[in-house]
Amino acid sequence: MAISFLLMVNKQGQTRLSSYYEWISLIERNALESEIIRKCLSRSEFQCSFVEYRGYKVVYRRYASLFFIVGTKLSKDGNDNPENELGLLEFIHNLVETMDKWAGSICELDIMYSLELIHFLLDEMVQNGHIVESNKMNVLRPLDLMERESQKAESIYR
Amino acid sequence: MAMKLRDLIRKVRACKTAAEERAVIAKESAMIRTAIREEQEHYRHRNVAKLLFMHMLGYPTHFGQLECMKLIASPHFPEKRIGYLGMMLLLSEEADVLMLATNSLKNDMNSQNKFISGLALCTIGNLATADMSRDLAPEVDKHLKSGMPYLRKKANLAMARCLTKCPDMVEDFVDRVVTLLKDKNHGVLITVVQLMTQVLMIDLKNAEEEGENPFETDCRKAFLRLVPMLVKMLRNLLSSGYSPEYDVAGISDPFLQVQLLTLLRLLGTKNEKASEEMNDVLAQVATNTESSKNAGNAILYECVQTIMGIESEDGLRVLAVNILGRFLLNRDNNIRYVALNTLSRCIKEQQETIDGSVPTESANTASAALQKHRNTVVDCLKDPDISIRQRALELIYYMVNQENVEALTAELLNYLVLCPREHRSDICTRILRVVERFSPDDRWRVDTLITMLTIAGREASREVQSAAVIYISRSGDDIHAYATHKLLKAIRDDDGSQRGLLVVGIWCVGEYGDHLLSPYSYTPSPGPGETMNGAPVSITFMALDPLSVVQAVETVTKRHSCPDYIKERALTCFAKLCDRFANKGDAAALTLLQNLIKQHEVSHSLELQLRACEYDALVNATKGIKTVVKKPEAEPDLFGVTDNGNTGEGVSASVINAAKEALSRMPVVDLKVLDKKREEAFGDIPMPKAKLAAPAPAGSGDLLDLNDMFGGTAAPAPAQNGGAEAPKSDLDLLTDIFAASSVAPVAPVGGGGGYDPFGAAGPVAAMPAPTNPLDIFGAPPTISATMPVPPAVGNPLDIFGAPPAAVPMATPVSIPMAPMMDAPAPAANASVVVPGFTHEGLTIEFECSKPDIWNKQSSELIAKCTNASSDAMYGFNLQCAVPKYVTMEMEPPTSTTIPVTGMNTAKVVTQKIKVTNSQLGTKNLMLKLKVSFTLQGRKIEHLATCGGFPAGEY
Repeated sequence: MAISFLLMVNKQGQTRLSSYYEWISLIERNALESEIIRKCLSRSEFQCSFVEYRGYKVVYRRYASLFFIVGTKLSKDGNDNPENELGLLEFIHNLVETMDKWAGSICELDIMYSLELIHFLLDEMVQNGHIVESNKMNVLRPLDLMERESQKAESIYR
Repeated sequence: MAMKLRDLIRKVRACKTAAEERAVIAKESAMIRTAIREEQEHYRHRNVAKLLFMHMLGYPTHFGQLECMKLIASPHFPEKRIGYLGMMLLLSEEADVLMLATNSLKNDMNSQNKFISGLALCTIGNLATADMSRDLAPEVDKHLKSGMPYLRKKANLAMARCLTKCPDMVEDFVDRVVTLLKDKNHGVLITVVQLMTQVLMIDLKNAEEEGENPFETDCRKAFLRLVPMLVKMLRNLLSSGYSPEYDVAGISDPFLQVQLLTLLRLLGTKNEKASEEMNDVLAQVATNTESSKNAGNAILYECVQTIMGIESEDGLRVLAVNILGRFLLNRDNNIRYVALNTLSRCIKEQQETIDGSVPTESANTASAALQKHRNTVVDCLKDPDISIRQRALELIYYMVNQENVEALTAELLNYLVLCPREHRSDICTRILRVVERFSPDDRWRVDTLITMLTIAGREASREVQSAAVIYISRSGDDIHAYATHKLLKAIRDDDGSQRGLLVVGIWCVGEYGDHLLSPYSYTPSPGPGETMNGAPVSITFMALDPLSVVQAVETVTKRHSCPDYIKERALTCFAKLCDRFANKGDAAALTLLQNLIKQHEVSHSLELQLRACEYDALVNATKGIKTVVKKPEAEPDLFGVTDNGNTGEGVSASVINAAKEALSRMPVVDLKVLDKKREEAFGDIPMPKAKLAAPAPAGSGDLLDLNDMFGGTAAPAPAQNGGAEAPKSDLDLLTDIFAASSVAPVAPVGGGGGYDPFGAAGPVAAMPAPTNPLDIFGAPPTISATMPVPPAVGNPLDIFGAPPAAVPMATPVSIPMAPMMDAPAPAANASVVVPGFTHEGLTIEFECSKPDIWNKQSSELIAKCTNASSDAMYGFNLQCAVPKYVTMEMEPPTSTTIPVTGMNTAKVVTQKIKVTNSQLGTKNLMLKLKVSFTLQGRKIEHLATCGGFPAGEY
């Protein structure tokens, strides 16, 4: 039903951000990530953005050199309540737009160097694999306030 | 002084090789561990941030777990923040340290600072365990009534998590949601709708476990009362016009709309009243949603699923199917993929309900609406994206019915031409199913099958080939003639690569060769629904002369690439043609036929040699000539069996008749055989080895005797390769047909005495170097009086000499065909399954068979791995050790990942092992196994010994 994992991976297959909403062991994570990115990379832009892999439905979208990949679990007995693939695609776009607004124009290095900040942003939008908030302002305003709160102690703790 | 996260990232980026990166990380890990040990509070926050980065790269970070716990207890916000983040990312639900966090979480939730409570709620939502949920649920519940939407929305999802972990708490929270649904904030709404969805699913599970009716629970009843409220909410979203806050491409909050529709689907399932209440709003969504943008399509897609899932009106269902039809025309591949997927799901569900109960009106209407979009679906078969093509194909199989079978099968055949080769076999099997179920008449069926074989004879499975033969033989004489003419033409046009076609074609030419000698024409009558343009086109085949027919088949066998099994079929064909063309006055053809058979008497392939010799004898017998096989020059005359040379004496009339019957047209195969084959192939029920699959109406006299006799001849052959008790017999149907035909006419003979020698034919065949078989039998030489027995090497005609003279002559002529034909089949297929071991859900079984009938020492073991655990196993590695007297060869496994057996796409992982036991008979095969794999992150190794192979055979 819900999102199982969210990845941001670049064209070289390096993971830039990963967030799992169900526990997968480290070894399996590594295998999963590398195989999914290989699958996504091998598809042309004329092919659809959905891949089924190891019991997951993977929805991906490419922005410049960065792949945004969202995986949801396929239910075991087949078909009841599958996640809305188009909805997930829309959510990815919403996430990218929010990040764009947050950083001006987001790029791979921004994501990489402000790892924890992106995670904070993501936590405002997704919780336990469910969407919490899709409004950019409602996501960014608390983030901004929290950031200011942190800044106070910045000199000591960073 | 520890470096900053930024510096670490920079350092890692500068690494040129993976080894360099590992070194940097190892060094940094060591530094962090030291810092932890020395309690460097000041850097705790920075170290956890670095661990997050290392964790993302896939390095172990377990040593940092306790640091997170310390951070969240800190009074400073930045430390708390990173501590909670570290907890969510680094810890698993199972981690013991999680318990330590319960108290901090409780304190933080009661904090005055909304961000601190928010962090705690978020953490609970992401990783609360059952125990934590029980402890913290009251605090989370307080926040459901909080004044701040920021906390309400987080509390909703945190509560959803708590309830999933402790399903028994569900009932207490049902009434809370009513007030939350009145909220103005979209964030709260979307989360509460998701909370309700979760609660319903938990409730469904609870009811199922307790054996209640899942659609009558208190919780569901309470939620059903809210349906009007949900409907109103959805309607407000539709009509609110432009609301900049949650607008996506002109649609107000598509995410909320999608979630609402999902919830409505759950509530409307199997509930007439609720479905009725939402009918209107669903129609409104379906008609008013803008479909030019992805967001709109996501809503429409969800709406269609809801309409299909609930007890909606017929009109609405048609509307939904039409939306999918529009999706199919969309140029965006994503949307077409979704449409095809949904359509096949709908139609599958429909068919299931139709199969289960009386067809309902609504189901018929929706599928009728679907049929309108047939052409669109068919067009998707021509799409460049393979995943679209595959989905379309799937859908088409479901769409076929009596009315459209001809058109759709034509499309499937077209696709068969274009599709990648690896899919062809599967498509052939599917076309066969379609043809079996919906064929309007015999001619069309036969026609389709022949066309299919012409296109994909190479890839068609043996099952498909056998089915084609059966369907041809079951139809009338007219179709026989048509099919044979058509097949002969196809064989001539073919370059020898479509082997399935050759097998079927050659069989038909042999069986119905006489039809080829007369011209054939057929004018299709225009069907009642068809409109014919101009005169109907008639199909005409010219009459052929026997010689050209024989030459056509000869060309096939003369090709370099022609495999033995086709030559075998061709020999049978030649023998039959001798009978079919006997009175047609074409001596040249007959001579050619006999020469062609004789050519193979010296073949290197034993099977071909056997067949050739026997058929030659059979053909001669029909002419009243005794077969005399020339004694090889070098062979000493061991038994004083003197060869009379060219004996001119004839054989008795009964022999001639029996031989003629053996070659005459075979009885029609019962369809039950086909079904049975399928059961055997697909079902796992161990079946006794039923050799005589084909009931033989021709020999109606004494069927039981026939059974006995057949059983008697067949049993020794598998016994000697240890396959008698094999559960499955996937014998090629064609083999069965031939076997049946050759035996059927002799049924009346039926006596018991003469079979033992044939039973003994098995061991002869198994000898690595066949010497004179007469040695073994020790048959008295006097027997040669009844039929001259030349001591030809390996010639099974030898055993003719063995039966006591009292046995009627007809028996030796035709019975040997049975073991001869059957021998290769059990050798290839009969197998024993030996359990290896079961460990941690992994079960290994060995399917043992003798690949080489002539060499008993070598056997082939196929290790089949099944996974009964809940997760896939990775890095599977099987090692084998054998005793000194055994040599072994192992092939790599088909995959190193063993998926959970029984899952959607799970395939059985197999590994082939070839063993040769040099001391067969005195010592048994033993295996020592060492297996290793990773399951749920644990590396598992297991040692086992396997010695359960049947004694004396392996």
